[in-house]
Amino acid sequence: MKLMYDFFTGQLGLGAAGANITVAAVMAVIMFTVMALCAIILTWMERKVAGFMQSRYGPMYTGRFHGWAQAVADMLKILGKEDIIPAEADKGLFKFAPILVLLGSLLAWAAIPWAPDFVAADFDLGLFYIFAVSSLVVIGILMAGWASNNKWSLYGAARGAAQMISYEIPLALAVVPVVMRAGSLNPQDIVIAQQGGIWHWNINPITNPFLFIAFFMYFIASIAETNRGPFDMPETESELVAGYHTEYTGMRFAFFFLAEYANLFLVSMIAALVFLGGWWAPFPGMGWIPPALNFIIKGVLLVFLNMWVRWTLPRVRVDQLMHLCWKVMIPVSLLCVVGAGVWMMAWGQLK
Amino acid sequence: MELLHVKIPSWGDLQWWLPEAVLCCTFLLALLGDMLARGRRPVVAFAISVAGLLAAGALAIADTHAVAPAGGRAIMGDLMVVDGMAIFFRLLFVFGGLATVLFAWTSEEIMGHRRENKGEFFALTVLMTVAMMVMAEARNVLMLYLAMEGVGLTSYVMAGYMRTSLRSTEASLKYVIFGAVSSAIMLYGLSLLYGMTGSLQFSGIRAVLLGGGAEPFGILVAVVLILAGMSYKIAAVPFHFWCPDVYEGAPTPVAALFSVGPKAAGFALMIRFFYTTFAVGTNAAASNSLIQVINWPLLVSVISAVTMTFGNLVALRQTNVKRMLAYSSIAHVGYLLMGFVLLSEMGLAAILFYLLVYTLMNLGAFFFVVAVNNHLKSEQLEDYKGLGYRMPWAGVMMVVFLGSLTGVPPFAGFVGKLYLFTAVMDRQWFWLVIIAGLNSVISLYYYFRVARVMWLVRPDEGHDSPLRLSWLQYTVLACLAVPTLVLGLYFGAFKDLADAGIRTMAGG
Amino acid sequence: MIRDLVFVLLALLTVVPAFWVVFSRNIVHAGFALLFTLVGVAGFYGFLGADFLAVTQLMVYVGGVLVLVLFTVMMTHVPAVGRRRHGLDRLVPPAVFAAAVFGVLYKVITVVKWNVGEASTSPTTAEIGTQLMTNYVFPFEYVSIVLLAAMVGAAILIRERSHAGSDDAIAEEKQEARP
Repeated sequence: MKLMYDFFTGQLGLGAAGANITVAAVMAVIMFTVMALCAIILTWMERKVAGFMQSRYGPMYTGRFHGWAQAVADMLKILGKEDIIPAEADKGLFKFAPILVLLGSLLAWAAIPWAPDFVAADFDLGLFYIFAVSSLVVIGILMAGWASNNKWSLYGAARGAAQMISYEIPLALAVVPVVMRAGSLNPQDIVIAQQGGIWHWNINPITNPFLFIAFFMYFIASIAETNRGPFDMPETESELVAGYHTEYTGMRFAFFFLAEYANLFLVSMIAALVFLGGWWAPFPGMGWIPPALNFIIKGVLLVFLNMWVRWTLPRVRVDQLMHLCWKVMIPVSLLCVVGAGVWMMAWGQLK
Repeated sequence: MELLHVKIPSWGDLQWWLPEAVLCCTFLLALLGDMLARGRRPVVAFAISVAGLLAAGALAIADTHAVAPAGGRAIMGDLMVVDGMAIFFRLLFVFGGLATVLFAWTSEEIMGHRRENKGEFFALTVLMTVAMMVMAEARNVLMLYLAMEGVGLTSYVMAGYMRTSLRSTEASLKYVIFGAVSSAIMLYGLSLLYGMTGSLQFSGIRAVLLGGGAEPFGILVAVVLILAGMSYKIAAVPFHFWCPDVYEGAPTPVAALFSVGPKAAGFALMIRFFYTTFAVGTNAAASNSLIQVINWPLLVSVISAVTMTFGNLVALRQTNVKRMLAYSSIAHVGYLLMGFVLLSEMGLAAILFYLLVYTLMNLGAFFFVVAVNNHLKSEQLEDYKGLGYRMPWAGVMMVVFLGSLTGVPPFAGFVGKLYLFTAVMDRQWFWLVIIAGLNSVISLYYYFRVARVMWLVRPDEGHDSPLRLSWLQYTVLACLAVPTLVLGLYFGAFKDLADAGIRTMAGG
Repeated sequence: MIRDLVFVLLALLTVVPAFWVVFSRNIVHAGFALLFTLVGVAGFYGFLGADFLAVTQLMVYVGGVLVLVLFTVMMTHVPAVGRRRHGLDRLVPPAVFAAAVFGVLYKVITVVKWNVGEASTSPTTAEIGTQLMTNYVFPFEYVSIVLLAAMVGAAILIRERSHAGSDDAIAEEKQEARP
């Protein structure tokens, strides 16, 4: 970031304001590209993981090596499809909804620290901001469901929104103990506070067992937050066709698709930076690994875990889902907050 | 930043806030007890609530001796103050809350076999009591707003307590909508005031105003907006719309509490707010420069006159006793507001005393309606025919309440009105006294119409069986009726309490 | 210059959809238009250096309140919403009232000497947290108990009716519907 800023002010002779705006623009482009790439790669990964779980190969032909180009081909196919807007749909909202959903994820991506000096939007409230802008996604989903003028879509949207606002509570609560420990909401500070190898990461149950529990709370809530199995009630193909994006095709469908995987990677990255030391290498001697690579590997591993869960567990019912959230996860998360606080006070770990 | 001048609260502050703290714990315990009680028997929550209210009352009484320095004791980092007035209102609210809880226990509307959530009802009543106390103690705009919302939120739920009844649900909804709008209006006014003065503390706002740093037009708009929000709480015209509908739809014990609790709390808040922000206590001479900026006494006196006239005229035409009482309570707000505009200790002390009397007689009248409703399932005046012969003791007590509401001797209402009118005369607001006098005459008609129907008309054939009240109902009614009578003859001690409350009011 | 531009953009983002909220005949559209207004207000907070408030505005209003509003609006049947006509008689009185309110507020805003503080340039979160835990700890705790009461109340009002009571309840409703 600083490098880039210096480059623009020094080499290109831009003023401070101009350089700032240029840096922001460049970062936005980079983020969007990474996000799109990420979605493509994760699609392929999902298929391979699903195949592996089900004792089959998954895509094998396109692009020769394990069908690596299948996702690219799929993307091209989607983009080439006819863009259909149902006659009875609310056209304006129908067109705007996918943009809003994607915007929500993209804005959240901005606050992720990839490396010591590489954050698109480095500001103090990072973590809080991420949770706040994620709520745009909820509105987008409601909009999509309503604008489609299709009862399956509306059901899906209602379920999705209810699920997301409910699980946002344990999700945010699970992060609170870490914020207490780091004494900051800035993701970069939270990562820096975990310096010194794997036993300094927040997940270490010996330093603070409540953070260890909080990690699992976060992980479960994040699955629900991304509407993925076993909590994929909004999309249940056996009941609702495809939920809120039933009526979408072509480019607009691609937006939803992109947003889903962007969100999946987003929550995994947050878990990595909050609980698993962000861009720090696991052991002291491994400083030669680029920080961003550390971070991405952790993120991808968590994504793998997420997929593992998705392809292993059967789907729950809506009432079970809500029961789990309100009667199990929220109390446990609250307990984690209190417990972690007491623990830190007892052992003098508070800042 | 000016915000930062407040002091950090210490644990010691809690010592002066014990009654409220006890009630907060009571609220939590009642909820917990209700959850843990086998079969959710409401008696657990009821017992906890009564015990908590009694304990809080005892602590509040103990405090009357412990805290009496003039100027009161600022607590919780100066956000609130415990002074004579706060203590007076504490006692009033604990009494009102206790009477409501006890009477609700005997009410079919609350405890009927098909009702649910009986335990939570008592817990919420307790919390509402706390919120009302905080209203009487707040001396900071932030606390003012939070306290009002606290009372509001609990009362919305209580108004809609009879979920299966359309009228109750409607009452709750109306209350919520009007409440939200009026509190938004008030908040706008408060934010204007903050923007102009840069202070959230009542006294801090006044310091800026006294320094002459305020534009009269801006202050006028802010005061009008704030008055709108407060008028809603006390149900003064033109923010009274909700009042008859909510009282009629809400369960009657709840309506009884609404007609005295939030109103008294609203008055406490208005006194505290206006007499510390736009006046130098009851010092009329010192307040002169503030009155010149914003002549709120004139504004409020007009509201007062309109409110009492409107309330009485509309009450004349009611055939539903509960609705009639609702309009009569609007009229009483008009009387009370007279004392508010005088800028004199006498006026404020008269308000306090009248509120005490009003609490007794209005709760009593409403509780009588509850007792009747348990048997007849009706609040229509025509069904009250000959009730005096069917429930003679309660009927006599109802006459006491009605007589006192009218303000005829020898009942307490007479003394209350006497003090109010004297205070108004003392400041030579003659036109206001004349209007109030005329209004009292009007009210005589509709109050005594109820008494007439009950005693001078014979019950219909087949509808003349005696109606039984439980001992608890008799006890509570007697606890309200006897003071209503006694205070009409022997009022010195309570008048002294009210006077002391105003004398030691903070912010002079 | 840039500040003015940002201000104008934010103002447009806030005010234009607000008109849409008021004038839209489709109540769901009105709900969605509210999104922009709320985001615009959050933008203003951020613009004035109140970063914590800005994000809280997003979190509470967009993530919470607006979702609830939309839920309610979508699940409620609004009869004949499209056929209602805005006659002149229905439009003029509110317009006059609104203009009057605007006039008064405009005058207040221009006439009054406002007590303007410095916009904070540093992050406000830590300071807000400290204040909430020290000077304002009492309101903080008080709010928590009031919100608990609100939650209990919401649970009371929406809890499923017990099966035993339902028939009685209908009978009672009939009785109570008597004028």
